[in-house]
Amino acid sequence: MAHRKKNKNVGIIGIGQTKYSSHREDVNQPEMIHEAVKAALEDAGITMNDIDCVVHGNMELFEMVHQPDLWHVIGTGAYGKNCIRITTGGTVGATIACAADNFVASGMYDIVMAIGFQKLQEGHTTGGITNMADPLWFRNLQTGALTGSKAYDVIREFGEERGKRASLMYRIIMDKHACLNSLAHRAFGLEFEQIDELIRTSPKLVGDLKLIDMCSQSDGACAVIFAEEKKAKKISKKPVWIRDHITIHREETFNIFGYDEKFPVQTTMRVAAENLYKRNGIGKPLEYFDVFEMYDPASWWALDWLRDFFLLKGDEHLRLVENKDIMIGGKMPINPSGGVIASNPISATALIRVAEAALQIRGDAGKHQIPSPVRHALASGFGGTMWTVLMMLEKELNW
Amino acid sequence: MSLDYDRKDCFVVNGKLALPYSYFAGRVGSKFITTIRDQKKIMGVKCDKCNKVFIPPRQTCERCLEDIRNNWVELGNIGEVVNFTVVRYNDGHLPRKAPYILALIKLDGADTPFAHILDGLKPEQVEIGMKVEAVFADETTNTILDIDHFAPSKTKKVQVSERAPAEKAPAAAKIEPQPGLDERRKAMSRKVIITAALAGAATMKNQNPAVPYSPQEFAEEAYKCYKAGAAMVHVHAREDGGMATHDHARIKATYDAIRGKCPELIVNMSSAVGMGKTAEQRISQIIHVKPEMASLNTNTMNFSLLDRKTGKIFIDFVFENTFTMLQNFGKAMEENGVKPEIEVYDMGGLDNTMLIMKQGFFSEPMNFNFVWGVAGGQAFRPDAFLCLKNAIPAGANFTTCGVGNDQFPAVTMSCLVGGHMRVGLEDNIRIPNGEMAKGSYEQVEWAVRIAECQGREPATPDEAREIMGLKKR
Repeated sequence: MAHRKKNKNVGIIGIGQTKYSSHREDVNQPEMIHEAVKAALEDAGITMNDIDCVVHGNMELFEMVHQPDLWHVIGTGAYGKNCIRITTGGTVGATIACAADNFVASGMYDIVMAIGFQKLQEGHTTGGITNMADPLWFRNLQTGALTGSKAYDVIREFGEERGKRASLMYRIIMDKHACLNSLAHRAFGLEFEQIDELIRTSPKLVGDLKLIDMCSQSDGACAVIFAEEKKAKKISKKPVWIRDHITIHREETFNIFGYDEKFPVQTTMRVAAENLYKRNGIGKPLEYFDVFEMYDPASWWALDWLRDFFLLKGDEHLRLVENKDIMIGGKMPINPSGGVIASNPISATALIRVAEAALQIRGDAGKHQIPSPVRHALASGFGGTMWTVLMMLEKELNW
Repeated sequence: MSLDYDRKDCFVVNGKLALPYSYFAGRVGSKFITTIRDQKKIMGVKCDKCNKVFIPPRQTCERCLEDIRNNWVELGNIGEVVNFTVVRYNDGHLPRKAPYILALIKLDGADTPFAHILDGLKPEQVEIGMKVEAVFADETTNTILDIDHFAPSKTKKVQVSERAPAEKAPAAAKIEPQPGLDERRKAMSRKVIITAALAGAATMKNQNPAVPYSPQEFAEEAYKCYKAGAAMVHVHAREDGGMATHDHARIKATYDAIRGKCPELIVNMSSAVGMGKTAEQRISQIIHVKPEMASLNTNTMNFSLLDRKTGKIFIDFVFENTFTMLQNFGKAMEENGVKPEIEVYDMGGLDNTMLIMKQGFFSEPMNFNFVWGVAGGQAFRPDAFLCLKNAIPAGANFTTCGVGNDQFPAVTMSCLVGGHMRVGLEDNIRIPNGEMAKGSYEQVEWAVRIAECQGREPATPDEAREIMGLKKR
């Protein structure tokens, strides 16, 4: 949608999440999805009769289920309704939020429910991801979402000790946040004193990407209900408004391996951030936003991306982390929920960022609610091949 | 036709993907499989809101979004083929050697069919509608193949669609001539049988709170009607939520509650049950409960809900009563000692009955009920009433009921020309002055007044039995 061409304003009126965990033997896929759907309907105080359209998002190859949107109707409530399935890799959750926003903003539907889910324990993620590599260039190259390139970049620029310590600092802050979120999958109870030990002992996955740096593989679902302004105000006491969103995909998969100092690649994070802020007249994003729910697949990436997302220079982003400014209570809290490193049911993951950002604005995040008022929140999504989605959420309809 | 393009130097990569996966059946799916495996029982789950019984079971009704995970229903092993295909080629992944039949089977009591192998007959012998029975596997595989296959059913059961012509029925069911019977009937022509139709399938508590749902409510309401002068009650059992049910246990419980509260009363049960019920569901409950009397519907017709002021249709429903059903239901009732109350919605329905009765299975006297005002049937007109009255066989009885505003004019007419009267909340929720009826019993009180005005007396249940040819208690 062209910016500022919204036909209607759109608000989030309902949020539902399951507990995120490594296994859910007690439920099958539609049953797990239904837990989130039910919670979102209850949160909004409406029934499925009020929903005009369901946007279903998952990576269908990851569970080896074809046409999952049809298979899941028992749980999604989409029986007899318009239903659209969206698959865009790691960004799925963010893309379904954008799609739901666009559907409502256009006037096509009044109330749309976006459902992201993944039950990774049932499928074979690497089998799915491998399919996206060009067979001509040997598919084994792309054997999953693991890459050590960001660790390499950060260490080259800032030195091994500072880079590794900053990455672990970020990781432990995320764990401290996750310990406050009862829905988070991994919450270890890590302490800052363990940084040196973890650098030494955590098994290496690729290069300097260690097991402790990496996100989890989770089962879980998230549902978010979007409504047009009039209905949103009528139904919800505190609707959270979608101000704008942007999707950038401009790189080829293999660019991530082709980094060259002399020809730096402009990342999709920076392109997305620059364009989004420019068209919304936001000069100082670090001051404007009160909280950021970032899609952080590994602590190395998160560290590096902070610079791009907030348009920072030099080592400003490292200092944000080193000074613990990104902690709950800090200058720019990142992922009070614990982020992707704590919970990663892939196609729900980016929708959880939107949901958690909205909960922060509502003040309903519970133990991981940041103490200062939240008026402006940012949520990001990231996925293959190097896509970035950024969404701005607002407490007031006043921009 | 060969494609004409240049293939020279076109490089092709051949690969193979391994696709490992696990499937988590969940608790509900797991119980379904383990119950088949360990107990050789097939279980479904039922949605209390829409009354559907799902198999394979699921945690949520996808239409009502009700949590139904604990609403288990045992379904038995017998079902009906609703569709099939014949697999005619062999392949490694197939569970049988070709040719074999893959059928969609709807178990008795279930509302959804599922696919399984049908064995024990040749592909050319399979028919839609045939009864089949589950054969369990000797060795478990922890899959749906713990039901090894389905085979044509050998179990004897009420089978509406496959009944052999009943040779003995007419003779057996016929009432032996009794000395002086006609005289006694004549003497009783002053008596009028008042029936109270307590609930029907569609009248809900939000329309009139006196509509009974629970067995207890039915019993209380029936008792009040009996006290007011009714000899018979007509019953469609309901779920607690108000939905009409074909569930044997619930219907029996409702029947037993009424009989417990007022043993003398005649209980006449519906074989229509409610919208969307199958023939099997409609008749098997009658055979299960064996009431003294049951309704028998005579024609396939529209049976709709609409706004009578604007003519706007809310629910467009076709009430199916084929000749086969009329015949099979009638025979099943007569064979089980259940006296049919023949429901006539127009002259065509009466004529249908007159054709079928040539087979001779209806016992005498026949009892008709003229139904007026159904959206899909005829509205009440006195001259049409007389036409129907004059068309029924000599010696037959008739009563009448009318929907809404047709109720009291129609029963008045019936009483006037020697027939009987049916009132009740199934047909109308008000009394003649337009006020909400306090219950079916208040309409019975009005019917008693109508009879008194014409010098007739309400029949006691035993007198009604005598008139309608029911067995003595």
